[in-house]
Amino acid sequence: MKLLWRDPHGPSGAYALDALENSERERFEQHLQRCESCRQEVRGLHDTATQLALAVARVPPPQLRGLVLEAAARTGQNLPVTDHRTGLQPRHARDQRRAGAPRLARVPRLLGVAATAAVAAVAVVLGFTAAAIQHRLDRAQAQEQAIVAVLNAPDARIVVNPVSGGGTATVVFSRASHKMIFTTAGLPPLAASKVYELWVLEPHAARPAGLLPAPSKGRTAPLLAAGLGPGDSAAVTVEPAGGTSQPTHKPIVAIPLTG
Amino acid sequence: MDGMDTRNQRVPERGAGPRGDGDPNLDWLLARVARGDHGAFEQVYDRLAGPVYGLIRKVVRDPAQSEEVAQEVLLEVWRNASRFDSAKGGATTWVMMIAHRRAIDRVRSANAEAQRDQKSAIAEAASSLDEVAEAVEANLDRERVRRCLNSLTDLQRESITLAYYGGYTYRQVAGLLNMALGTIKTRIRDGLIRMRDCLGVGA
Repeated sequence: MKLLWRDPHGPSGAYALDALENSERERFEQHLQRCESCRQEVRGLHDTATQLALAVARVPPPQLRGLVLEAAARTGQNLPVTDHRTGLQPRHARDQRRAGAPRLARVPRLLGVAATAAVAAVAVVLGFTAAAIQHRLDRAQAQEQAIVAVLNAPDARIVVNPVSGGGTATVVFSRASHKMIFTTAGLPPLAASKVYELWVLEPHAARPAGLLPAPSKGRTAPLLAAGLGPGDSAAVTVEPAGGTSQPTHKPIVAIPLTG
Repeated sequence: MDGMDTRNQRVPERGAGPRGDGDPNLDWLLARVARGDHGAFEQVYDRLAGPVYGLIRKVVRDPAQSEEVAQEVLLEVWRNASRFDSAKGGATTWVMMIAHRRAIDRVRSANAEAQRDQKSAIAEAASSLDEVAEAVEANLDRERVRRCLNSLTDLQRESITLAYYGGYTYRQVAGLLNMALGTIKTRIRDGLIRMRDCLGVGA
């Protein structure tokens, strides 16, 4: 640390290779704000690192293309953000994780995978295990059987969208059975006077589809909604405790149930 | 240009500048992606999926996990394209920075750390050169990087490959090589500067 302090330019190489530990990185980024020549040096070293990256390029697995493009087709885009303090691009991954948003990796990976193969993984995504599903089946609760039926539907699709304010919403839906399962992860906690309410947005109307249950380990238990039609979306609003019959606020997430 | 489809437009010719630093074609495509142009994103994918996957595979090693991280990174490029600012650096560098950070996030997670043993790390770093040499598509860029890596001192080269390809912090590199922290920090910087000059990367 003392070395770093005496020689503020020293870490530029380690910084460009992402080889500083967090506290040192933050300190060096502060230094960068004040040091134009350091910013220039870091830029050149980042470009050098890029050459190291290009030198190990290799052909990606063939299925990756379809998975990525399909995931992009279902994923909204973020608005531009610039960190004016450092003039650097923010470190999105870390920022998002700090805010409590879960990683998206596993979910889009399922897109386009045969539904049967996807079910077990979907169950993991939704936060319950196959054993738990079996246990619930054993208890023969109609609601939960219906949830498993959606997961098992041959045309089951999964969509994960970020929620404004933090967290993600996951929908598994089957057009053939006109049903969907909705769950969330990492939503910010609400005051006791408020609830998250799920809606089915039809082209010209909104239909209440239940209140999100209190989360367990950050995830809400799945809600089931039936009677979906073409052009419907799943949406969540923040409403007064007890819920409302019509949304009174703008949705914090809306996921079109298409495809 | 808003609202027009990329497929109906000629992509500007690629600039003559050094690779990875200001590729106007790719900058232009990313600007299209930022406006939600899926056709442009497809082209970005075709240009960068190989480098992204290759780098992640190099750092993460496990093929299934590498594929997962690569997917995450490429989707992040789609989601955050509007945050790319060509005034601050080239598009390839922007994407490779995201790829590298995500890859090291993966290998530095608590579980992964526990599984890494030091001997294999050093063996891995030593084999980096060979791998660069015999990589799938031998080409001039690769040859240039190999030649420039060879021009470094052993300590510079080992520090850089352990940090960048191995995903280690310089503190960990110092531990692995049994060297003083300050020495490793300096060798990484000196070595990278030498690489930069050798490669003719514009700074």
